[in-house]
Amino acid sequence: MSDSIQTIEGTIKKEIQENPILIYGKGTKEAPRCGFTLETIQFFEKYGHPYTVIDVLNDMPKREVLSKMTNWPTLPKVFIGGEFYGDTDILDEMEKKGEVKPLLDRVFQKK
Amino acid sequence: MITEDVLIGYVRTALPGAVVSVTDRTGTMDHFMIRVVSDHFKGKGLLDRHRLIYQALNEPMKDGRIHAVEIKTLTRDEIK
Repeated sequence: MSDSIQTIEGTIKKEIQENPILIYGKGTKEAPRCGFTLETIQFFEKYGHPYTVIDVLNDMPKREVLSKMTNWPTLPKVFIGGEFYGDTDILDEMEKKGEVKPLLDRVFQKK
Repeated sequence: MITEDVLIGYVRTALPGAVVSVTDRTGTMDHFMIRVVSDHFKGKGLLDRHRLIYQALNEPMKDGRIHAVEIKTLTRDEIK
């Protein structure tokens, strides 16, 4: 019996709250299996804050729930301070406008 | 695999009048960089702009003709 939608949603909500920077992606931090997941890892490496990568490559039910929750069809999916921020397409634009550093400083100050 | 004009057609169906430029990222016609200029983006944040593009490309992404897209979205006055 696969996890019900509610259980999967509950797990995701918990993961989002527990990890200031959370990347749902394909593969792991040590072995990313997709260029965009790797790109997202490299993006956060620059800032030096701890971040978590959760591999959902083979977890289709969780990927579907994530896509519904965020109205965003692709991976990776980035959450910062419990908020959804898309992927590096979004983060690169935010970085150009100098919005990423203050956001991360604020999120890690609260810890 | 999808051709550029079919891809552009999908975007312009959702965003009439949009100026769309497409770059094939890997030469396999399924990984694209798409730049869209449209005043439909006015007053919309980045996430919602990109959602518009994903909704426009929902069909070819679902059926696998498109594997990945990198998106740039601008309004007309943002390109000046």
